[in-house]
Amino acid sequence: MLLDYSRLGWLRYALTGVAALVCAYLLAPIAVIVALSFGSSQWLKFPPPGWTLKWYRALLADPDWLTAFLTSLEIAVIVAVLSTGIGLMASFGLTRGSFRGREALRALFLTPMVLPVVIFAVALYGVFLRLHLNGTLVGFVLAHLVVALPFAIIAIGNALERFDVAIEDAAVLCGASRTQARLRVTLPAIRLGLFAAALFSFLASWDEVVVAIFMASPDLQTLPVKIFTSLRQDLSPVIAAVSSCLVVLTALLMGAAALLRRGRPT
Amino acid sequence: MTAPFLSICGVCKRFGDVAAVDNISLDVDEGEFVTFLGPSGSGKSTALYMIAGFEDPSAGDILLRGASLVPVSPDKRGIGMVFQRYTLFPHLSVADNIGFPLRVRGCARAEITAKVADMLRLVRLEKFAHRMPHKLSGGQQQRVALARALAYDPPLLLMDEPLSALDKKLREEIQFEIKRIHNETGVTILYVTHDQEEALRLSDRVALFNHGAIEQVGSGRDLYERPATRFVADFIGNSSFLRATLERRDGACGRVEFPDGSGLDGVALVGEIAAGAGVAVMLRPDHVHLAPDAEGALGARVVATTYLGDCLHVVAATSWGQTIDARVPLGASDMRLPEVGERIALRCEPSRARAFAGGK
Repeated sequence: MLLDYSRLGWLRYALTGVAALVCAYLLAPIAVIVALSFGSSQWLKFPPPGWTLKWYRALLADPDWLTAFLTSLEIAVIVAVLSTGIGLMASFGLTRGSFRGREALRALFLTPMVLPVVIFAVALYGVFLRLHLNGTLVGFVLAHLVVALPFAIIAIGNALERFDVAIEDAAVLCGASRTQARLRVTLPAIRLGLFAAALFSFLASWDEVVVAIFMASPDLQTLPVKIFTSLRQDLSPVIAAVSSCLVVLTALLMGAAALLRRGRPT
Repeated sequence: MTAPFLSICGVCKRFGDVAAVDNISLDVDEGEFVTFLGPSGSGKSTALYMIAGFEDPSAGDILLRGASLVPVSPDKRGIGMVFQRYTLFPHLSVADNIGFPLRVRGCARAEITAKVADMLRLVRLEKFAHRMPHKLSGGQQQRVALARALAYDPPLLLMDEPLSALDKKLREEIQFEIKRIHNETGVTILYVTHDQEEALRLSDRVALFNHGAIEQVGSGRDLYERPATRFVADFIGNSSFLRATLERRDGACGRVEFPDGSGLDGVALVGEIAAGAGVAVMLRPDHVHLAPDAEGALGARVVATTYLGDCLHVVAATSWGQTIDARVPLGASDMRLPEVGERIALRCEPSRARAFAGGK
């Protein structure tokens, strides 16, 4: 092959160099944050003049951080579950159904991805004010569900698209009702898509800050909102410690996902 | 008189204005192997899907042991089916795939284990019980699909071009397996294919489909030797069709005359054809011979020859511009073979020729 790696000659070294640069570019900010969280400087000086764990102690001592963390977790888990469930039903309709306006409906489901988030957030803020949903858990979940749903529909829709309906038909002829066939054959067959939908929905909510700022109240705020407000009030290395914790958590989540996919056919 | 085992009565399937299946009727005996043969889009698969229950007939009825299948949902029909595409459940092992229909039926675990072992033996895949489907070859996957479809002892097994994704050698191997399994289990099989060789090799009877209708039902020999329509004659085997006029009619046979004045006496006539009408005369290559002299024979010029070992395939052009195929058996090694461009005289066996109305 023309672009065979072993026949690239000196270009191989150039390629390796570029790849290393890109990796460094992606990883450097994370490395800096982690280093700062262990740094002794009050003013986030880099490189750190000394090393300490006191920012982590401060983090654990402040119950507000834990509350924000648990709020985020609660919202993200509920959103992940609802988004996967609704996404599954929507995907079945969009891939299996044959009705007028199917493509238009698919586009409508995906608009939250292309609509500027801040516009959506302002609009939602206005509506939720009338419904008294601002600053409530229900409001957060509903708002994040809109943001997360396109990810679920794409992940599950792709999996269903690749799944041959004839397999489900075979299960029906084997004596399973259509519903049984879907539960016992189709769902297990597309479980990686369901898992991806749940993961991306979780992250979409977990990570979301714009809508959350509009939804938040002093009593109820998510972790990203807490980080954002803390940044504006006092630039403390505690934020670096929080960020480092989040990096580790995300890495664990992705690692678990990779483990689950290992050895499975695509 | 007892009702036929499976009876397809005047079944139609229309999609909008298009009739995919147009008024087909066919009775199948218990234990029979019947193939639906036809070009793609001829309605043979649609017919099978109506028997499976995935399509509802627009008209007509399908009876199994005298009871209509139409109001029964596909999961309650108890019919087995092997699909064209690979349909093993990807998350279940071979043994669990075969056991699936039994688990759905709530069979006891011991019964399932025994039946799965039986089925694995039947398709000779005992060693693969714990493999996952994606670790199997295409041929093995279709054999597991066959085992799964037979695990619940269905009265009827449907097969929708199950071998079309496999290469020729493997296909022949599995055709042999299917034939063996049919003999061992005695299950009634309806098999869809567009491959006539496969149809002739496997079936007791073949139903030849064209434009949604059945052109002819019969054994392979019936279809090859006594085609009922020109379509059947054209589809099964190779044949040449020569333009001629029916000169004289004696009962079911007649004398035809070709445009160059040569004639053929005792040709079977298909349907009502009046003397003097134009006909198309079907000639199988095996029944066209080289004539020792030109007297009364059909004159032609060799266009191409293909050496096939046991015979020489000759394509020749008649004086009025139609082509005729002949298979010349190769006898003695010093036999002189016709060459391209040479004029030859051909003699056809009239008893094997058939004349169809509408000479073209």
